[in-house]
Amino acid sequence: MNEILDKIKQKYSAEDVKVQRTGLAFVTVNKDVALDAVTWLRDYEGYSHFVMMSCVDWIEDGKFQLLYLLHNPVTKTDVGVKTLINRDNPAMTSGHHLWKQVWTYQRELKEAFGIDFPGSPRVDENFVVEGWVDIPHMRRDFNTKEYSEETYFPRPGRETHDPATYMREQLYPNQPVTAKRKDNDK
Amino acid sequence: MPFTAWSKIVKDPVTIKDPLNREAAPRYRGFHDNDVDECIGCGTCEAICENEAIDLVPVDGIETKDGDSGLRPKIDYGRCCWCALCVDICTTNSLRLTNEYTWVDTDPDNFRFVPGVDEKDWYEKEDGWRKPVPNYHFYGQERVEMEELPAEARGDSFIEFVKGYSKDQAQQEADRCVECGICIGTCPAHMGIPEYIKTIRNDDMEEGLKILYDTNPLPEICGRICTHKCEDVCSVGINGDPLSIRWLKRYIADQVPSEQYHEILDTQKIFKGDTKIAILGSGPAGLSTAYYLSLLGHNVTIFEKLEKAGGMMRYGIPEYRLPYDQIDKDVDYILSLGVEIKYNTDVDAKMFKKLESDFDAVFISTGLHAGRSTRIPGSDHKHVFQSIDLLRQITAGEEIMVPEKVVIIGGGNVAMDITRSMARLQKIKYGKVQTLATSLESEEEMPADREEVVEAREEGAIIDPGWGPKEIEIVDGKIKGLHVVKVLSVFDEDHRFNPKFDEDNKKFFDADMVVESIGQAPDLSYISDELKEKLELGPRGRYLLNEYNQTSVEWLFAGGDIVVGPDVIHGIADGHKAAVGIDNFLHNKKK
Repeated sequence: MNEILDKIKQKYSAEDVKVQRTGLAFVTVNKDVALDAVTWLRDYEGYSHFVMMSCVDWIEDGKFQLLYLLHNPVTKTDVGVKTLINRDNPAMTSGHHLWKQVWTYQRELKEAFGIDFPGSPRVDENFVVEGWVDIPHMRRDFNTKEYSEETYFPRPGRETHDPATYMREQLYPNQPVTAKRKDNDK
Repeated sequence: MPFTAWSKIVKDPVTIKDPLNREAAPRYRGFHDNDVDECIGCGTCEAICENEAIDLVPVDGIETKDGDSGLRPKIDYGRCCWCALCVDICTTNSLRLTNEYTWVDTDPDNFRFVPGVDEKDWYEKEDGWRKPVPNYHFYGQERVEMEELPAEARGDSFIEFVKGYSKDQAQQEADRCVECGICIGTCPAHMGIPEYIKTIRNDDMEEGLKILYDTNPLPEICGRICTHKCEDVCSVGINGDPLSIRWLKRYIADQVPSEQYHEILDTQKIFKGDTKIAILGSGPAGLSTAYYLSLLGHNVTIFEKLEKAGGMMRYGIPEYRLPYDQIDKDVDYILSLGVEIKYNTDVDAKMFKKLESDFDAVFISTGLHAGRSTRIPGSDHKHVFQSIDLLRQITAGEEIMVPEKVVIIGGGNVAMDITRSMARLQKIKYGKVQTLATSLESEEEMPADREEVVEAREEGAIIDPGWGPKEIEIVDGKIKGLHVVKVLSVFDEDHRFNPKFDEDNKKFFDADMVVESIGQAPDLSYISDELKEKLELGPRGRYLLNEYNQTSVEWLFAGGDIVVGPDVIHGIADGHKAAVGIDNFLHNKKK
């Protein structure tokens, strides 16, 4: 596996090469060569099985990180190819021509993160949610809690307690509270 | 149902019950389990849950007590998405997800339950998702170290050696708080700790100061020398360092100049009525009472026996821990609210009787200023001193005896204060330290704060605990040293003070001077016999007080060390309660 990783470093200037455990490694490459690296791994190094595609929202850096996870059924090893794309108007070259199932992943990423893959078949169709009008729901600036509060009704009979308030009620209910007395409080 | 579905009505179902009852993967995130004995009901699981799937509910058999809200999480599986954030944030690591994932029930209400309390089949399963420890944390595990002058730089001086946090350090430390509020219950004054820590994160010191003064009018002082019991129950401290709550409080108070206090705390103008209250003693309880009574519009006069205000905070705690200008900052603000203070006024029984007629109510907080003696042979020698007297003389700038060899008897914070003060004076006079402190209590049992013991040793003092004083040897009128025997135990099975010694295991500590620091007693000689008779006694022969620190003589309130023992923050809390009690009493009297 180390040999393959060395080659990726040379051919695609891969950085952040990390062997997670035996048979699993990750590399990060520039977005312009990410699909070239994936294609090379498939066609020349035996990573013929596309496991999955995923995304991480690095909101503080203004980036999305895409991950293509590939498997070599002969050597039973996996390589994850990571690449960073801009979070503003995010778009990535489509990989639908490499494996048909990439279509579905790209469609999911379009819906969940708003990343466009121009030319990917059915990429604009709903994936899980229908009639979604908010910002993509897997982006970290999507306020899940606010959405649940606005969208779903609370289950009848539910009741909760704030620990500090509950402790005051139980242990020291007569906690003095003193505010300045105003002239008209006489 | 679409019409096409009807065509499948006679076909076998596509989904079938798993015939193999297959076990999920070892780290699969299934139904919850909670070790309710470890859980403290801090509510971080509820706070982090994006789906609002968790409620905190009281549970039979689990009591609300110091460090435990008594609440436990109840999960609503109609909303849970098994993300396990609740497990990953759990401060006690008590919450986990088992790898059980199948459960069929026809009653939807059964899908709400309290893990670890309501009986479920899967608690036996060890597999599932737990917080991966170590090195996987949602909040910082280590506190931001407080910079201190090293022992060699502080040992020959009384300047403050704890430097205080910078803005970056304070914000970084404040960022570790999970805002559970468990600490509030343990703080005697029930300060709004998470709220003021939040103001540090938001860099809003004005709001921070307001929150401090809601419950504590001595923040500069408490920010330095509070016994910080709140930190003992900090939920972050269960699997890491507790928040530096005391130093964060100091940070807020240090940031705001005293000139801005009136504006920020909205006290430029205070309404004053015609009620008059006398306070005996200007320690933390007296000052706290004076502050809150002033806010409530009462006229307050403090009678102080000594030359300056502060009581034990000024005359007991050494300057290197609590600089006098910081005491002045807190005290001057309280006095600026129109509180009158009569210094050098020792109230006796006659004068106390007059106070009863001249004032509408009296609050006594005269503290514990009389040292207790060991009464061992030789303890009546003129070079055997009480720690409390020496500390008072050091503060007053009086010259005290500083011989080459000093032995201190005592293991509490006052003993450490005099040990470290004598060590400094020796270093200044002789360039070396030969101060030794010994106590009945073993190293583990010593009542002094751990940091005091550590720092005293850093400064060159010897702390040799676990010895009982037997005799002070005197030869030709001069002290030669202290004979001690090994202590086997200090308390008996009923936790009563009943020391047992091994008389054959002896030791001798060379000394030219011995300082006793085994506790203090009150001087209540200003209470006349006539008044004493009217005062009802409670358990342990103490004066009976109600929840507002009011005695059975309705115009007389009491608080501070004479009521709760030596502790600044307890005194402050007493003062606040008494102020509210006095206000209620006067209000009802008017009606």
